[in-house]
Amino acid sequence: MREKLLQITSLNASYGDADVLTGIDLGIDAGEIVCIVGESGSGKSTLIKAIHGMSGLRITNGSIRFDGRDITNLPAAERRKIMGPGIGLIPQDPGTSFNPIRRFDVQFKEALQSHGLPYDENAIVGMLRTIELEDAKAVLRNRPYEMSGGMNQRIAIAAAMMFRPRLLMCDEATSALDVTTAGAVVGELVRIRKEQGTAILMVTHHLGIAQRMADHVGIMRKGAMIEYGTVRDIFENPQNEYTKRLITDVPKLKK
Amino acid sequence: MKKRKKQLRNRMIIAAAFALLLVLIAILAPVIAPNDPYKTSAALIRKAPSAAYLFGTDNLGRCVLSRVLIGARTTIASTFFLVAISFAVGILIGMMCGYFGGIIDGLLMRLADLMLAFPQMVVAIAVAGILGGGLGGAMLALGITMWTSFARLARSHTLAIKNEPYIMAAKLQGKNSFQILFTHIFPNILEPVLVNALTQIGTTMIGISGLSFLGLGVVAPQAEWGSMISEARAYIQIAPWAVLFPAAATVLTITVFNYLGDAVMEYRDAD
Amino acid sequence: MEQTAAPLLCGKGLNKTYKSNGRVVRPLQDVDFALYPGEVLGIVGESGSGKSTLFKVVCGMEKPDSGHLYYQGKEYTGDGPEKTGRFLQMIFQDAYGSFDPRMTMERSLREGSDANRDEIVRIIGEVGLDSELLGRRPRNLSGGQCQRMSIARALLSHATVLLCDEITSALDVTTQAQVVRLLNGLREIENVSILFVSHDLALVSMICDRVMVLKGGVVMESGPTDEVIHNPQNDYTRKLLNSVIAVEKM
Repeated sequence: MREKLLQITSLNASYGDADVLTGIDLGIDAGEIVCIVGESGSGKSTLIKAIHGMSGLRITNGSIRFDGRDITNLPAAERRKIMGPGIGLIPQDPGTSFNPIRRFDVQFKEALQSHGLPYDENAIVGMLRTIELEDAKAVLRNRPYEMSGGMNQRIAIAAAMMFRPRLLMCDEATSALDVTTAGAVVGELVRIRKEQGTAILMVTHHLGIAQRMADHVGIMRKGAMIEYGTVRDIFENPQNEYTKRLITDVPKLKK
Repeated sequence: MKKRKKQLRNRMIIAAAFALLLVLIAILAPVIAPNDPYKTSAALIRKAPSAAYLFGTDNLGRCVLSRVLIGARTTIASTFFLVAISFAVGILIGMMCGYFGGIIDGLLMRLADLMLAFPQMVVAIAVAGILGGGLGGAMLALGITMWTSFARLARSHTLAIKNEPYIMAAKLQGKNSFQILFTHIFPNILEPVLVNALTQIGTTMIGISGLSFLGLGVVAPQAEWGSMISEARAYIQIAPWAVLFPAAATVLTITVFNYLGDAVMEYRDAD
Repeated sequence: MEQTAAPLLCGKGLNKTYKSNGRVVRPLQDVDFALYPGEVLGIVGESGSGKSTLFKVVCGMEKPDSGHLYYQGKEYTGDGPEKTGRFLQMIFQDAYGSFDPRMTMERSLREGSDANRDEIVRIIGEVGLDSELLGRRPRNLSGGQCQRMSIARALLSHATVLLCDEITSALDVTTQAQVVRLLNGLREIENVSILFVSHDLALVSMICDRVMVLKGGVVMESGPTDEVIHNPQNDYTRKLLNSVIAVEKM
């Protein structure tokens, strides 16, 4: 059997003494979109942190393999080479991923050059325009602290995408955005997958987004993956009681 | 992480125990003091420490230990009183400024800026000089600048919470501004300002002793550490103990209270 | 909804202008609205639409530059929140923040109400909570419990109008559903009318009788919920509807 792009096998992780992830199995193929849905405290963001290798989170069991390589406990320097061109991350809070007082274009240029990639401003401007940042050229001359949270979030998305990563991880990337902007971002993510074959791992509390873009959906609760299946299986024929309740409780547009 | 918090708590308790001990000594000074601190004796001038006079005697033959103990009362009591008054005045002004804003806020805060522009001790020396000495004068001189730090802190904390939904909710429950200030704002900003008061104790003590040392505070013959050092430094080579012990007492007390302030602050900040 | 009755709460020609960093912002431009007895009026808009300013003006936190506000036909323009609180109460997005962190729930609930303990316990039961929670402080409650408490507080002060400001957006899906169900039930039992601000059109479509769409301080469209959703007249409303990523039956 051909190995998947990202393969997580019976992963356990803990902060201090408390287990926050238990027995997670998850595989993502190249070009596949997987959405992990859960409420607050379900461990869905922790899963992304485990893949990203956040300090403080201890992996106590299992493995994470990316592109045929074990990245479970990779040293920071090795990991940095993979992050960016290999795995891109759109964080929940974009404020933490930029230096607040330096211009965006300078930060973009440095980030690209550190991976030996060229800086193509037109490509970035084009990308910003597709996610409803009309004045993209001027935006690049700004500094993060001058922008609203929603603006920064959209720029963070562009920043992750400019590396053309093979796997893009989004941690609640749309939850701080307005309805119309969130819609545009979801559209853009789907387009990127189509054009570049990027695999996407999207963590969200928003069932609608999962239904709109995912190939496979995982439902997490209390650190465990309680149900996993194709988008059709999950929404048409959910097996788990909790999944059923989630789907009933989510507001639906009255048609 | 919890372990660290526990460590910090223990540290805070130890610091508080030492501080309490010092306060107790100050309160019980008249009982503990082995000799009359004001009794001069021509026969006992500048005697080195002995069993009867543990800290020796000074230029007028007074018992240094007894004077240090009684001096603790003067220094610690006046410090506490001064910090308490500045705290009360400062928190009240700061709360009003932060909550109501407007012209009064602007004026008072510019006044506070002005106070901050000069080093506290310089202002205090000038004011105490004009007032011409005495403990009351020294306290007023220090208090003139001290309230500003409480006022600023109280103001910034008030500003931070005055737009919280619960303040809005209280308004909708029909509460007027003064009810909101005292039932919602005051209890919620008290803690940080109180911690600030704790950290001010050390500096205030230096201030009072410093002014007394310069002859602008407590005047002889009343026992106070600063003035004792000042009196005794003239004959420091003959009777170093008369300088040493009040100086050591000052350093010890300031260290204990500063340590307590830091310990409480760190405990609060740790999670 | 019966449009023939007199509105319970209404605003006419409301305008509000700010200057921020030298730029003039107009979060309310000739806004009219009317809330009829017993109905839920949804106010939909994105950030910068003026919906928060509208709430501040309605409850008297801020004065409109021009325009008038009426409650039961009587003008109350210019009254501060300590007066408007007699007939309207607000439920906040930040449920935790809407209670003084140092007060027990019981003390907070008693603040604006002379209700006795029995009455408080009854209302607490009505919002689906155990009276044991009354002794707790906000940080010892869940987000959903806190939000129910704030609904209880509003009911205890005998408000007839509830202003709900994105009240479920900080809650989990399952908790959100419970709070919305509660609100829906209460409007009949307790005879309250609701102004319901939300960015979530799907949610609004489920509980509001009428909807008003705001953008940049201007009312784009308003009408019965079904009409606005099925036959939007305004381009922006259409864009908003197209952007909704709601779960659909497959």
